[in-house]
Amino acid sequence: MVVASPSISTTNLETGRLLDKDKITKSLDIATSLGADYAEIRLVSETTNIASLKDGHLEKAIPGQEIGATLRILADGAWGVHSTSDISSIVSQIEPTLRLAKAVANRRVKNQLRVELADVPIIQDEIHWLGKKDVRDTDLDTRIEMMTAIDSEARDDSKIVSTMTGWSDEHIHTELLTSEGMDRVWSFQRSLINGMVTARDGDGVVSYRMRHGGEGGLEIIEKCDLGQMGIQARESALRLLNAERVPSGKMPLVADRDLTGVYIHEALGHPCEADLVQAGDSCLEGKLGQKIGSDICTVVDDPTMRGGYGCYPIDDEGVDTRPKNLIINGVLNEYLNHRETAQRFDLEPNGGARAQDGLHHPLVRMSNTVIQGGNHKDLDELIEDIQFGIYACGSRGGQVDTGRGSFQFAAQEAWLIENGNLTRPVKDVSISGMTLQILKDVDGLTRDAKLGSPGFCGKGQTVPVGDGGPLMRIKTALVG
Amino acid sequence: MIPDDAVERLLDSAQKIGNSCETLGIEQWEVFATQGYGHSLDFEAGKISMASGGGDGGFGLRVVEEGRYGYAHLVDPSGADRAVHEAISIARKSPAISGFELPANQETSKVGGMLDKQILNLGPEDLLEQGDIVLEKVVELDKRAIAVGGGIGIGASAGAIVTSSGIEDGGIQTSHGIGIHVSIDEDDELTSSYEGDSSRKLIKDITKSVEKAVHWSQVTRNKIPGGETSDCPVLLTSDAFSPLFSMVAPPALSGERMARNESFWSGKMGEIVIADHLSLKNDGRMEGGSSSGSRDGEGIPTQTRNLVENGRLLGENWSTRDAAKMVAEGRVDKAKSTGSASRSGHTSPPICGCSDLSLLSRNNQHSRDRLIEEMNDGYIIHSVMGAHTANPTSGDFSVTTSTILRVESGELVGALSQAGFSGNMAKALAGRVVLGNTISKKGSYTSGTMHVPDVLMFDELRVNPA
Repeated sequence: MVVASPSISTTNLETGRLLDKDKITKSLDIATSLGADYAEIRLVSETTNIASLKDGHLEKAIPGQEIGATLRILADGAWGVHSTSDISSIVSQIEPTLRLAKAVANRRVKNQLRVELADVPIIQDEIHWLGKKDVRDTDLDTRIEMMTAIDSEARDDSKIVSTMTGWSDEHIHTELLTSEGMDRVWSFQRSLINGMVTARDGDGVVSYRMRHGGEGGLEIIEKCDLGQMGIQARESALRLLNAERVPSGKMPLVADRDLTGVYIHEALGHPCEADLVQAGDSCLEGKLGQKIGSDICTVVDDPTMRGGYGCYPIDDEGVDTRPKNLIINGVLNEYLNHRETAQRFDLEPNGGARAQDGLHHPLVRMSNTVIQGGNHKDLDELIEDIQFGIYACGSRGGQVDTGRGSFQFAAQEAWLIENGNLTRPVKDVSISGMTLQILKDVDGLTRDAKLGSPGFCGKGQTVPVGDGGPLMRIKTALVG
Repeated sequence: MIPDDAVERLLDSAQKIGNSCETLGIEQWEVFATQGYGHSLDFEAGKISMASGGGDGGFGLRVVEEGRYGYAHLVDPSGADRAVHEAISIARKSPAISGFELPANQETSKVGGMLDKQILNLGPEDLLEQGDIVLEKVVELDKRAIAVGGGIGIGASAGAIVTSSGIEDGGIQTSHGIGIHVSIDEDDELTSSYEGDSSRKLIKDITKSVEKAVHWSQVTRNKIPGGETSDCPVLLTSDAFSPLFSMVAPPALSGERMARNESFWSGKMGEIVIADHLSLKNDGRMEGGSSSGSRDGEGIPTQTRNLVENGRLLGENWSTRDAAKMVAEGRVDKAKSTGSASRSGHTSPPICGCSDLSLLSRNNQHSRDRLIEEMNDGYIIHSVMGAHTANPTSGDFSVTTSTILRVESGELVGALSQAGFSGNMAKALAGRVVLGNTISKKGSYTSGTMHVPDVLMFDELRVNPA
């Protein structure tokens, strides 16, 4: 109960650590003495700032400090978990959570596998990725100034009926203590700015969204030409007002960097998550080492790509991060995994465990997912042979059914491609397909692969992600 | 599951935070407090993969000074002074809204059905037994079927609000929910379905969702060729209709969005906006409603109102601040709170939204079989992917479905593997619409809880088979 939660001791604040290491370590030892195979406590403290302008005026500014801790116990090959914002109570939950794990284990039938964890290096250290301009030093006036830079350009037309700009920054501090002796502390920061403009002409009303951000402090936002971002949003919204509804059917598709990123995230990234493979809910089950895409498809998921919105220094099981080569030249090379699935599939743990915050347990998640560049020079070269197709830009999100391998993602705006040229703007473009078909239909990539706009990924828990790539051409896509 | 004195403790801590405000000379303050407890389990690969429990909560503080407001949130009430300082310093940088004050206390009556003591008495072992029943049911219904995901949860949440204007209220709500993702993978064909149910009361038969999931995994097997793109009638089951409807209808009914020309119904108050037999009833006082209660997120008594009646737009939703702001900006002549402020937790200030929103018809409503006859030629869609990409400003949507059945001459002829599905929800509801006779409660969306039947629509929809 939070109202019973005592204050964090001054001593702990001075050391920067919020968990009482000696007390927690003894408790984890007790867990193992009572029969736990493994026990851990992970605490996350977040210092956050959210702000927004509506029509250029401050709408809200919310500073916050949240804290949560999760106890995970593995006993008899099954998990028991307890999460709480009352840090002082977590030690008292060791025995009930151990009983819970054993109760789950007792329900396992003969042919069901025990949960076991892959071995990982046991490390005691601290890693702190602070922003060059620490988010905790950014004041509200600066945030307002940055948002105003977008807003003032975005609404510079009588058909723009409203604008909304938003800000989010956070400092995330994590501590992990395990019964194996892991003792890791890490912290990092994220910054994000976004906006939405709404345009109206008679009964026609449209909206356009934009977003910029990454791992780091204020410098991430300062790097962006915010005025240009506002201009682009305004111009796109006005263009959408006059756009026709997209023709439906199967046709060639060229996607910009943002859409390429969402495509690779939804179509490939999720089915590569080994917890879904283990659950029997991935179309990529049993396909490691098999050709699933065209030769030009090479995809990496890389939490070490500093500045990407999906960066993190250590995963939430205390495993060091590294780039994961999911597909190399069309061949499925690696699943994203955590310790449980690494053991299950006899793979090397690759640091893919992420939890939304201190109140959630880690799942296998993506970080920064990018399809590598190809041989095409630019957009003109990609579209020159297309008689009739679509060039789609900007993401409105996507979704995947990992088991069936079907996916959908939606574009913010698009153009018709006719006889090798971009002609008329069209709207309401969504693209769908089957993972195992469409990866083979990627037949053109420009050279310049980069991260696109930052995003958020939902899988019961929400985590920040980066994704991107070059401009990408797909031979045939279902456009609706 | 929850301490007997949970509400009293929240009220006490909230009052202490209020006292900090008063010590610093802040006249208008509001403290919103929550504390939730729960147990849950997860399904994976035909077994219970994990059991968990826990609790979390915190306090949200809103202060108002001369029409300017600031907000801060905290977990530990001993940090109140810092939060109060942050909130008031933000308020002083915020634009003043003439006439904006925190609402005064108004008497109200309790809404029933929010608490089921049976849920309070359940423990993790009871939940595990429910899990066993669910998994056994999957296999009993179809030996090929497997539960690849989902879970069961029970929860109890204490909430309280205390304000400088004399509002002091609190209560406990319970919940019970199941989600089950079933797949059948045989002969190189995988079909699946995700179904769920939730209630403030203990769900009597937790296997109904399993029956639906297995049924839809079965009937979508043995695919037929897709055919041509067509503008045609579509019967959306309540499961397919609700996510699209919830993306576009609640935002369109926001008073602020109407005033700012951000709603496709802006400027249409008093006009016919959907088929003239349809009504949209927004009920903040539905017994056991997932988005109902005696007071809204800023302590104002809730209401039951027909926002659209027989197709005609009659009302809109307002929170206190939105109403004052739109009047101050001269966008509307008058507006006041409709008891429509909702909270998504202690970390966010109140926002305006729907409560328990029902789509109703004064015409006869029909069984699913009769709706299929009525459709004659078209499609049945049971789930969609990408509903969150629908455009709430225009009502346009373009999504994908892998749970789609072709109907010819009023008869089911088979399942398609995949199809695009697009259109405009506002225009489709304004065309020819026939409703099914069973209303289902669908999820608890941030924009409210939807109570919708199967919906057969004839206009402004396009199906694009893969």
